[in-house]
Amino acid sequence: MQNKQTAAIGETAGHEKPVRRQWLRPDARPAALVLLATVALIVSMKLVNSDFGSLNQLTAILITSIFLVVASFGQGLVILTGGIDLSIGVVMGIGGMIIAGMTRGSDDMLVYALPTALVCCAGIGVINGTGVAVAKLPPFIMTLSSGTTFFGIGLALTAGSSQQPVAPALQKFMSGSWLGLPLPVWFLIVFAVLATLVQNGTAGGRKLYAMGSSPGAARVLGLPTTMLTIAVYGASGLCAGIAGILLAGYSSSATLDMGNALLMPTIAAVVIGGARVTGGAGIYLGTLAGALFLSTLSTVITILSLSQGLRSIIQGGIIIGALLLQSSRSAQRH
Amino acid sequence: MAKASPWYRRLGGGATPAMLLLILMLGIYAVYEPSALTSFGISNLLNNAIVLALAATGLTIVVLTGEFDLSGAGVVAICNVMAATLSMGAPGSMGTLGLVLLVGLLVGAINAYLIAILGLQSLAVTIGSLIVCQGIALVLLPAPGGEVAEAIISGVTGDLFGIPIAGIMFVALALAWTFLKNTRWGIAVYAVGADPVASRLSGLNVPTTKFIAFVLAGLCYGAAGFVYSAEIGSGDPRISDSFLLYMFAAVAIGGTSLMGGRGGVRGSLVGVGILTVMQKMLFAIGVAEFYTNIFNGLIMIAAIFFGQLSPLVARIARRRPA
Repeated sequence: MQNKQTAAIGETAGHEKPVRRQWLRPDARPAALVLLATVALIVSMKLVNSDFGSLNQLTAILITSIFLVVASFGQGLVILTGGIDLSIGVVMGIGGMIIAGMTRGSDDMLVYALPTALVCCAGIGVINGTGVAVAKLPPFIMTLSSGTTFFGIGLALTAGSSQQPVAPALQKFMSGSWLGLPLPVWFLIVFAVLATLVQNGTAGGRKLYAMGSSPGAARVLGLPTTMLTIAVYGASGLCAGIAGILLAGYSSSATLDMGNALLMPTIAAVVIGGARVTGGAGIYLGTLAGALFLSTLSTVITILSLSQGLRSIIQGGIIIGALLLQSSRSAQRH
Repeated sequence: MAKASPWYRRLGGGATPAMLLLILMLGIYAVYEPSALTSFGISNLLNNAIVLALAATGLTIVVLTGEFDLSGAGVVAICNVMAATLSMGAPGSMGTLGLVLLVGLLVGAINAYLIAILGLQSLAVTIGSLIVCQGIALVLLPAPGGEVAEAIISGVTGDLFGIPIAGIMFVALALAWTFLKNTRWGIAVYAVGADPVASRLSGLNVPTTKFIAFVLAGLCYGAAGFVYSAEIGSGDPRISDSFLLYMFAAVAIGGTSLMGGRGGVRGSLVGVGILTVMQKMLFAIGVAEFYTNIFNGLIMIAAIFFGQLSPLVARIARRRPA
């Protein structure tokens, strides 16, 4: 099983360790670059501040990156088809709130709460997808509006009250470890492998690339574009839900707006990872690298105790910088 | 344009259904809130709507060229924070107005350069500039506070010969667009939005047209930020996320196609009216505030859905022999 997975990654990324080879596939280059940038960031922080970069701190960065890693997979799929999902932040909050509201600090209801939360979050995604694919609404309007609507519904149902603590089992999952590695890191590895397999190793994944690069041609070829679009937004909702549940477990309680701060970073992670914002190009390895880079950056900013404002400026600047790099790359190719 | 459309169609600027909805909502609001149609009520309503009207006007111009601009909320935040920190000091109120418009112009020009000249995708670029602008606003003023000069407040929210300034600005926006859309550039905006390739082939300068649109939009956002500061009287770096939704909702409800090339500022102004009156109406009827979020989202989806149906209906109607 392990061999098969490595083989699959090797196949999709050009090579297992892309940094050392010259003949990288073009879409794996941004991933390698961003991973290098992450390492450079860690090393330069280590030089400035020798306390930085202990094994514990690096694991902590990995653990806090898990929300972004999971949620940006969904965002990446949606962007791959030429859309965008602006409801992710709200869906994360709703996922966390359902878990917190149903378990109320005990494990008894967790068996029911987990599927309920995931089905609700995927359901919001399906509604988004239906709006985009069937009613032909522009994706960002559809997802922005449904985000606002469901935030309103969530607010009405909870009357804005803060929620009870979540099930202890979730908190244990986020802080436990197995074979010397924290459980969330195991989760991250498994998720990354599965996500890469789904996006680049299955027929469905290849169809998304076809749809993103030429929706018209995809339709002429007879691809079920409507169903695929709905499925992609559903998957994005599901990922946001998983991220929200993990976030609730990590912070041991949930609030409705806890995911809002993660919405823009999901887009940033996808764009930094080299995906084309108009769809049809980009691999999950890039998004994963982007998410890891942003989490590292976020930790660095916290350690340097920069203000929230500077954090936003850096993040926005990185998005625009990545777009500029992309355009110069495509200019070279033509 | 062969046949002159009847007067009631021209009133809404291509947004007749929206105009009817606005009148209906005003009616309901007036029933529940008798003071709504007094001169105080109307001036209050106009003051509530003018910020969104300015911002939505800017957005409409960009959307007409077939691009998106999310940076509006960020520019409004920066300008609000600037007005709250600068207007009491050396620049004075006119100096602040100048600086604020300059910032709008600058952000618009940066967006314009990245999108129109370098050809980057507008949605992603303006998400980036939105985040940067919000960050700058937070750096300038980390927590809500500051004070806006009294001269600005009275100048923007006051009256001129008994007519609210906000009302004059509304009319000015509508007139300015009526003038602009008949200039060479204005005609090019519609052409570029409808079909960029055909526009380029027929000799229009697509990048310049888009560049001017983004710069004008930036100016509008700057003005919106200035007026917003006058309305709230202080600075708040975190202008609510829903402002962005309102901007797009106003444009979409007003009948401007989000694909570009169809619609106009007058429709967006009607859209602004609908959104403002809707808040007031829901409040007057007694709907709790958190439900208005739900209405905002739903009306947005409905507006765009029907907005997309209307050209279809028009096409069917045209096919019928008159």
